[in-house]
Parts: sequence; structure tokens; C-alpha cells
Amino acid sequence: MLQGLPMNFLRWQDIIDILVVSYFIFRLYVLFRGTYVFRVIIGIGFLWIFQSIAAYLGLIVTTWAMQGIIAFTAIIIIIVFRNEIKNVLQTKDLTSILWSVSHKAYQTSVEIITQSVYELANRKIGALMVIPAKDDLQEVVQSGLQWRGVLSKEMLLSIFWPDNPAHDGAAIIRGDKVMEVGAILPLSRRTDLPSSYGTRHRAALGLSEKTDSLVIVVSEETGHVIAVKHGKITPINTNIELESLLQRHTGIAVAEKGVKERQQLQLGLAALLIFMFVTGIWFSFSKGLETLISIDVPVEYMNRNPGTELLDSSISTVNLNLSGAGPLIKSIKPDQVKVRIDLAKAVIGLNSFTVTQENITLPPGITLKKVEPNVIDVILDVPVKKELPIQVDWTGKLPPRLILESIRLEPSRITVVGGSKILERISTVYTEKVALDTLKESGQMVTKLALTPASLKVESGRDKVTLSYRIRKRAPEGS
Amino acid sequence: MKIHLKHESWRIVLATICMIAMGTAVWAQEQSGSSTPASSTVFRLEQAVMCEDIKDYLPYNAAVVFSMEIGKVYCFTSFSGITKKIYIFHDWFRQDRLITTKRLLLQPPEWATTSSIQLREADKGPWRVEVKDETGKVFQVLRFSITD
Repeated sequence: MLQGLPMNFLRWQDIIDILVVSYFIFRLYVLFRGTYVFRVIIGIGFLWIFQSIAAYLGLIVTTWAMQGIIAFTAIIIIIVFRNEIKNVLQTKDLTSILWSVSHKAYQTSVEIITQSVYELANRKIGALMVIPAKDDLQEVVQSGLQWRGVLSKEMLLSIFWPDNPAHDGAAIIRGDKVMEVGAILPLSRRTDLPSSYGTRHRAALGLSEKTDSLVIVVSEETGHVIAVKHGKITPINTNIELESLLQRHTGIAVAEKGVKERQQLQLGLAALLIFMFVTGIWFSFSKGLETLISIDVPVEYMNRNPGTELLDSSISTVNLNLSGAGPLIKSIKPDQVKVRIDLAKAVIGLNSFTVTQENITLPPGITLKKVEPNVIDVILDVPVKKELPIQVDWTGKLPPRLILESIRLEPSRITVVGGSKILERISTVYTEKVALDTLKESGQMVTKLALTPASLKVESGRDKVTLSYRIRKRAPEGS
Repeated sequence: MKIHLKHESWRIVLATICMIAMGTAVWAQEQSGSSTPASSTVFRLEQAVMCEDIKDYLPYNAAVVFSMEIGKVYCFTSFSGITKKIYIFHDWFRQDRLITTKRLLLQPPEWATTSSIQLREADKGPWRVEVKDETGKVFQVLRFSITD
């Protein structure tokens, strides 16, 4: 699958990581494509790449400057394009933000507008309709009355009916809704306009000069219809012309098969590029931040024959050199790294095991670089019983005038259970250290046994002895 | 009388043969030295004790704990029923590690003998002395400690 890479190089979390970020960026692309926001985001992307190259080359000041610019731009983008961002997000429900891919961001009910326009023209009712595209109108349109009514022919006719207080302004139609009515548009300052053009025409031209909106004007005097876009006035003579113009502007259905396919191809290509870009970024992050650590891990022994006992091992911990992405290395918990030696095939006596990758459990994404030491010697033994004498392990100092003449232990011997090899070497069981300093006269005390190694056990389970001691005073010198 | 003399001469001959046989046996035993099992001998351990000193061939201040300050520790043993020269051993162990073995001669009919060690700082801890004969038979184990 991944040639030359260990199997645990990519975790399922990493794949999800790449997919989530790719999809997030793809959605941003779908929502903001064609807008200024998207262009600025692309610009920031290039700045970031430039900054990464600068950092790689060790250009300290350039890297610092790029970082500052990116941070500044990211803030600026939110402030400057707040309305554009708001429009995109407000006009869409959660499903469209997360899932649907419209061929255009906005849709207008072309037929309703077409029919309404010609009804108004026939009746010589003046009208001014604005069908926005990508640009935000809030900065250029003033005094609009919030409407938010569902678009219908009757509504448009009533809006522009001469007795309606809002009929003089423009109606802003977005999708299938009339968003605002009575909106005041900026007037064009062009001087080459025909004298027959009134304020409506000048306003339509003014808005089209400043935004990418399509503005439709119905002359009150002549009933003529014109469409204005990007400062260009197009007389409309037939319904078909207007419909076609509206369709081109809004991009609905209309779009011929070829165009639709091209758009799908464009989206697919964008998705692929985004995926590749994110994958590249992920690898550069994960590899670039690769960290090495060295940890001591206790060795666990498994499947030991119950009839045997682990007498000794050359080491109790092994040192592992691990590598992986910095965040993964930092998140390693002690119980995630294990070194296990299988004793199922071990024999009585000395066994040597080479610690390999198979003996080591690591969290995903972490690679083993080195094991030290990589050979463990384990001695297995058979438990036996042995009766041993007990001896007191005195410590400290008896007052000089006293002599500890004799002692008696109860019991004086004890049966110990342990590995045969251990017990072979042991001929006495000692007590814990018993202090002499406080002894002044003969007496009795109870003391515990100190079994070494700890694997040894007293058969009876009672590891205490009663110690009776006799102390006498030292005879004066020369007596 | 003649018969009587004959009997006497027989006795002399038999006695001579017995003496020669015994002499040969003793000679052979002496020649073989330590190879003769000591367990076959009948000598007994009369006393075994750890002490601070030996005064007048007797243990002085027998004890089970000895301070480093006294500088030396003695193991005193006395035997009886010794029929011939024989060696015994004092094996000195610190914990379970054999530190030194002292080979000591016993003379008939009874004999006392001692061994000792010089105390060093590293000697602190529990000790034991095993009193053995040549066959390894342990007569007694004396346990003691060396402390501050």
C-alpha cells in the first residue's frame, strides 16, 4: 500500500484528518468561488507557501514579515468582507453550506421576473429591479425597505404600482425573494446618456458601474425595457431576450450541458487539488515535526509455565528510541508502550531472547528506531522447599560495658519456598536489622525475617521470630 | 613342661604376629594420613564458642556480637577422645560467603584449638563458623555478628 513505509505509518485518524480538512477547504471554495473573499484566501495561501519556503531557507526576517502579513490579512479579510461572508452564509441553510453544490450562488425566478417586467411595460408602469450577483450591495444601496417577500408577479406589480409609496425606488430580488423595496441606487455621472433617460435609467447605470448586478428598467413614459450590467445598456425587445439575459446572469439551468459538465469538471479538479494540497501539508507537518524520544519501558513476561519461577533476568527495563510526529510523541502514555517476552517456549535454566518489533507494542504513528539492550537473559527455575536456620542480623553498637552473651530464636529454623537455584545458594535466613544501641539488659523481642531475594516465601506464611537474648556486664579489666 | 613351653611359644608367636599386624596397620594408617575417614574416630567436640580473646588457653568474654573496636574475634573449640593426631577445620563465612578456612591440628587425648580473624570495616554483618572434621562432618555452627 505504502511502499517503503512501515504499516503503522498512516493511522486511520490521519486519513480522517486529511479528509476533514480537505472537505472544509473544498466547501469554502464552493461557497466563496468567484468572490473577492476567495481570491484573497488564495492570496493568503500563496503567502503561507512563501513563508514556509522562507522558513526552510532560514530567512528569519522574511519569515517573520510573512507571518505578520498573514495574520494581519486574516483579520482584515473578516473585517473588509464581512458583508460578503454574511451574505453567503445567510442566504444558505446548513445543508447547502455543508453539502450542496449549486452551479451559481444565487438563483432568480427568471420566469416571474420576465412576465412581471412585460406586464409592467404593457401598462407603462415604471419599474427598477436589481438582481445582484456576487458583489455586496449594502455599501452602495441606501434607504431600502426590508421586504423579504416571496417573489410573485402580483407582488412585483403591486410594488411598482404608482400609488405604492415605495414604487419610486428599486426592488432588490435575490433568489426567489424580494429582499428590499424603495432602495435608492447611486446615480451615474455619465454625460452621454440620451435625454429620454430619466432618473431610473441613471440609477440603474450607477449601480451597474459599481457592482456586478443586473438592473432592469421599465420606462414609465415609453414602456421600453432596458437591462444594464457593468455599465452597458441593453435594450430588451422581447420576452425571450430578457429571459435569456436573466438566465445568463443567474446561471440557472440554462446553462448548456457543456457548461454544466465543465463546471463539474472544475469542481472535481478543485477537490483533487485541495486533497493533494492538504495531503502534502499533512505530510510536511508530520514528517517535518518528527521527534525522537528515548524511554525506559519495563519488560513484561507472558505465558510462563505455572510450574516454573522467574529466577532472574539480565534487565528489568529496556530503553526504546521512538520517533514520530511531535504531537503524537508528546501524547504517548506509559501504558501504550509495552515490551512483552513470551516465555511459552522457555526452558529451566538460562534463556536468551532477542527483543524485536514483535515484542514491542507501540501506539499508531510511532516508529521504533532502536532497542537497548536488545537481548534479555532470563533464568527460569522450579520452586522447591528448604528448611534453613535463622540468624539475627545485628546492627549498631552495644554499650561497651555490656556483652551480648547468647541468644535464642523461636523458631530457630524455618521452611522457605523458592527457586531451586536460589535456595541452592542460601544456607541461612537472616532477620531484619536489629539495633543493639537500645539494649541494656536481657530480654525478648519479635523481629521479622528479611527474605532475599523477594521471590522467596515462608511456607507457613509467618515471617516473624521471637528473639530472646542474654546480656551480662563486662568484667572489669584485670579482674 | 614341654607342652607348656610349646603353648608359651605359640602365645609368643601369636602375640608377635598380632603386634606386627597392628604395627603394620598403624604404619599404614599414618602413611594414608587424612585419607582415613575421621568419622571412624571417636573424638568429641566438648566446647565451641566465639570469644573476644583467649586467656590461659581458655575463651575470654564469649559472646554472639562483637564490636569492630576489639579488633579480633576468636573461635575456640576443645575436643576429647582424640586417639591420634588429626585435623579439624574452622570455616569462616560472612553471610553465605566462605571467607577463610583454618586447618587446625588436634593431639591425643584431648586438645583445644582456636582460630581468629582480624576485623575490618567491611566485615560488619552476620557471620558463622562451621566446625568440621576432615570428612566434612559439621560438629557445630557458631553464629555471631560483627557490628560498629
